[in-house]
Amino acid sequence: MDMAERKAGAKKTVKIEGGPTIDSVPITYRHKIPIGKTLKYWDGLREGRIYATRCKSCGAVYYPPQSDCPYCGSSDVEWIELPREGVLETFTRVYSKPQGYEDFEPYIIAIARVGDVRVMGWLINVKDERCVKVGDEVVLGTTYIEKHNKYIITFQLKNKQC
Amino acid sequence: MRKVGIVGVGQSVFGVRNDVTIQELAWEAVKEALDDAGLTQKDIEISIVGSAGTRTYELYPAVPVNEYSGFSEKGPIRVEAACATGSAALAVAYNMVASGFVDIALAIGVEKMNEVDTATSLAVGGRGGNYLWEYHFYGTTFPAYYALYATAHMARFGTTEEQLALVRVKNQKYAARNPKAQFQFEVTVDDVLKSRPIAWPLKLYDCSAITDGAAAAVVASEDAIRKLHIDTPVWIEAIGYASDTSNITRREDYVSLKATRLAAQMAYRRAGIEPKDVEVAEVHDCFTIAEIMAYEDLGFVEKGMGGKFIEEGQSDIGGKVAVNLSGGLLGKGGASTGCHWSRNDL
Repeated sequence: MDMAERKAGAKKTVKIEGGPTIDSVPITYRHKIPIGKTLKYWDGLREGRIYATRCKSCGAVYYPPQSDCPYCGSSDVEWIELPREGVLETFTRVYSKPQGYEDFEPYIIAIARVGDVRVMGWLINVKDERCVKVGDEVVLGTTYIEKHNKYIITFQLKNKQC
Repeated sequence: MRKVGIVGVGQSVFGVRNDVTIQELAWEAVKEALDDAGLTQKDIEISIVGSAGTRTYELYPAVPVNEYSGFSEKGPIRVEAACATGSAALAVAYNMVASGFVDIALAIGVEKMNEVDTATSLAVGGRGGNYLWEYHFYGTTFPAYYALYATAHMARFGTTEEQLALVRVKNQKYAARNPKAQFQFEVTVDDVLKSRPIAWPLKLYDCSAITDGAAAAVVASEDAIRKLHIDTPVWIEAIGYASDTSNITRREDYVSLKATRLAAQMAYRRAGIEPKDVEVAEVHDCFTIAEIMAYEDLGFVEKGMGGKFIEEGQSDIGGKVAVNLSGGLLGKGGASTGCHWSRNDL
């Protein structure tokens, strides 16, 4: 085996480049995602509202919304609007970005407790993530992301600047 | 259920393996496992190929792997369970033998993650949660998912970045002695703390790498083992298996992995042992916080004390449980399916 090991000082890292490579014939996926059963959610984001579903039969609340209740078997669900405020449960700032997000500044993904459910969103207008604390109160809104032609949920700190 | 033993194991060298295709990489592990068992292809009745896949050009890797390895008619059954795919392949092979469906089965875990660039790999890995409600909107990478756990664990229990770093330091100590590991060198706490942020608070050295690697195990029934005159099988006492929601927002909390707790309870109960009986464990250390949570969720220490556990050296040789003496995913390499095989086999 032709094993060329990259050495950095005494550090041995296995990186075997071996012989030449060729490029595959590229494949591009562009999926069509059905949203017919959750249309109210997508419309809501455009209006700055966040909706969950509630099973009319057993009262179970679903966020993210779903149109079938697996616990009681009912498909009779109603839409309920979530409150506009919540409490941060956790967050991270993504520096190593995935394909499709390369052009964004490092973004903060956060999860907030909102009423009876948890909601994911981007925490915006924060310079230093180290000043943000679990338990901080946030205000919920939605924001249009032109690059992806989509609306997302955004959080802003309610009582402090970071 | 019949007794099942492991009679042969093999592993490729882990790392960036741009020198081989997925079939060639799998063969390195398969050949070693067959040689180790003293068997040939004709002895294998079925092959279970675990591959999370989707990063390699071969989108249906099981049949090509079987063909290349010289047993195209034996199965294969391809299994996928994201980062637990290798364990899932072994669980299926175990059940195939335990149920009496076959006497000898081969479980293979193989992953080629470096045929695409890092951004693509992150985009594929991020889909390991829930695409529509999480990745689509918020670009959730896998480091980000575990960083969400790290932030919550640190806030709730006072776990520190230094304690996280100690996990990497310990695992590198053993990776440095493992000739099949991707990173065969030791690091210091300072090296970890000074590495660049990937998904704050996780830094480069808090994360396992994007790795190519393969592993294989031959499992056999007690009868077959006796007929083959194999006198040193490793008996599988119990397997526990569980999962949790794909949407992280629907999980109970961000300081514990419920799937680990449930699977461990199953395995302990079936094996008739308790956490305090465990002396050696290989756990899922895809990120440093994952190993800290594993100490707690496997019952080695109470919830919230994982940071203290590593600080006191309790997860090293000489402590309560020696964890990840292979170097773990952090040191050995994070090929999703290749080396997770001890996680549930307590």
